Amino acid sequence: MNTYIPRLVGTVTKYVFVESPEMTPSDLAIRAYEISQGVMIKETCFGLQVTGNEGDVNRIIEFLRSLDQTHIFVKDRGFPPGDPRRCRANLGGARPGYFGHEFEIGLIRFISSGLAALPNRAPGVVAKPPSPRATPRLDAARLKAIIESQES
Amino acid sequence: MANVFIYPTTSLILSDLVARFGHKPLSAALQVREIIQTPGIESPPLQITPEDPKKGLRWAAVEVPSGVRGRMAIYGPLLDRAEAAIIVNNAEYSFGCMGCARTNELLTFLIRKKGIPVLDLEYPTTEEEGVEFVAAIRQFLDSLGGGGS
Amino acid sequence: MSRVRIAQLSCGPEYSGVQKEINEAAAAVDADIFFPDMKLADIRKSYSDFGLDIRSPDLKLAIARAKALVEGRVEADAVFIATCFRCAEAAIVRNELRRYIHEHSRLPVVSYSFTERTTAGTLLTRMEALTTIARRRALLAREVQEGLTMGVDSGSSTTKAVVMKDNRIIGSGWLPTTGVIRSADEAVDQALSAAGVTRGEIQAVGTTGYGRFLVGEHLKADLVQEELTVNSKGAVYLADAQHGPSTVIDIGGMDNKAISVQDGIPGTFTMGGICAGASGRFLEMTAKRLGVDITELGPLAMKGLSQKVPMNSYCIVFGTQSLVNALAAGSTPEDVAAAACHSVAEQVFEQQLQEVDIKEPVIMVGGTSLIQGLVKAMGDLLQTQITVPPYSQYIGAVGSALLASGFIRRE
Repeated sequence: MNTYIPRLVGTVTKYVFVESPEMTPSDLAIRAYEISQGVMIKETCFGLQVTGNEGDVNRIIEFLRSLDQTHIFVKDRGFPPGDPRRCRANLGGARPGYFGHEFEIGLIRFISSGLAALPNRAPGVVAKPPSPRATPRLDAARLKAIIESQES
Repeated sequence: MANVFIYPTTSLILSDLVARFGHKPLSAALQVREIIQTPGIESPPLQITPEDPKKGLRWAAVEVPSGVRGRMAIYGPLLDRAEAAIIVNNAEYSFGCMGCARTNELLTFLIRKKGIPVLDLEYPTTEEEGVEFVAAIRQFLDSLGGGGS
Repeated sequence: MSRVRIAQLSCGPEYSGVQKEINEAAAAVDADIFFPDMKLADIRKSYSDFGLDIRSPDLKLAIARAKALVEGRVEADAVFIATCFRCAEAAIVRNELRRYIHEHSRLPVVSYSFTERTTAGTLLTRMEALTTIARRRALLAREVQEGLTMGVDSGSSTTKAVVMKDNRIIGSGWLPTTGVIRSADEAVDQALSAAGVTRGEIQAVGTTGYGRFLVGEHLKADLVQEELTVNSKGAVYLADAQHGPSTVIDIGGMDNKAISVQDGIPGTFTMGGICAGASGRFLEMTAKRLGVDITELGPLAMKGLSQKVPMNSYCIVFGTQSLVNALAAGSTPEDVAAAACHSVAEQVFEQQLQEVDIKEPVIMVGGTSLIQGLVKAMGDLLQTQITVPPYSQYIGAVGSALLASGFIRRE
């Protein structure tokens, strides 16, 4: 049993996804490097990973969000970038969480639309989001009527 | 600022919206970060050791598979901290942390049992649904108070 | 030695704290575990094409990965399927994937249900078999023994040795295992003297069984091989079923093996020894309690009716209790012997044969295959005529001697 000594203790890593017709991950990276001040910035195929102490990371995230409020999305990541335990090169394939990203990125344009529409929304209008609902069953009397109409 | 449990706990969309509207998203990443930044016995990839499924016994009995209990050891502390929750119910393609349907059923049950405010949703499939989805989350989070973007 | 690439299809090992154990077991046999790469669109399509409607996303991913392997979109040498013990959904997926891969590809598969207590040690023999099949297909294709070779099977209960010459067994040795090396030396001496040859004349040696590494080193063996592949090979060789499908059942002293074999090469297998109530040990205890030699237990059981005595226990302690109760209640030794055989057969049936597809011929090997009552009970359960080849108790030693002839240096 080997002792585990963690690295980068006390840091946080956040994913910054950009899904915009006007900004690429490398555009975003360039802007991030400008204010990085020692915070680790790693460019990826979908955006960036930003690693450092929480205050610094939040400062950079805040700035990046301001560049395009409706097309930049952020979430926490447990591992630092390039960690061999999660790295595609070592696993042979993507870490499982990657497919979840792939799924959500596929519909993130709807979220962008939602964010863009928010400021114009009249206050007090109750939202009617897609929500789980029971599939309505055909009424038995109605079914009977259909059967009878077919038989005649 | 409220601690908002999100389901799927790995969701980019929910994490982003909760943080954007001024609250704290309780995502799996927070727990994974804590685990992998804690020294101990080496157990790649997630630093979950055979001790973790035992910690999971707090939420699930020993007859429940080890993978469920190990996952509960990750989410359990998040459940404790949750003051509200947003649940997207048709999250069928969330793998890894959210890869076990049985854990997910237990998790959403425990959240509902807790009696905190819960917003139930499904993923939007059109632009119009996207607009309502975002607006509903905004309204829900505003109703919790203490937020602000 | 070339590294073997094992594709892992799984749900739960990272969260049970056992992924490290899987990786270690693979590393110990020079193999690498990897996770077949996919795209979300592939996962959706493959899962839906497969047609098994399940809920857990990681199991959907496992299905998609299995399809990618079978369809050749991802290359691998072997497949390891692992899911949580006690998960019904995962058990169905595990079983169907194992069968699907076995039927549609040449990839060796092993499936395993783990708990948080699963260790690399438990997985080692399975991983070794998996890599052997992948790495040594050419060696395992051998159908004829050549030259003068010896095989030694250092088992948990008994040690066996055979000497073979030109495709014939010319000497054998057998004794209970006391000291691993001491017992091996004695078995070897017995076999050599029966064959009338000296150690120096032997051209190649193979070892198998629990003590294979120690004995292999001691005898400077050319081949040191786990018993799953060796026993399969030995079984189809002795039963003259080298081509086509077969099923090999080996109820051992410490664990049991059920192996689904195709052309002499294991396709899928299970190996387990959860409780002694399902092992040869229990039959030994029964014989002792009935005051007969183990060799007399089989014929005794053949005269009895197992239905007359309630006995069905995983656990050797409870099994023995049933046995004592039955005798006290006036059951005949014949019925008790039959019931004990039936009980062991039933445990093996319930615990292991559920995980391999039973294809005829079903070949029983190992020392317990000499207990006729047990063979009959197993045949009744499987509703088939079971084949017990000659020398079935020497199966591991014969398989080793056969395979070892691949190592004879041509002068």
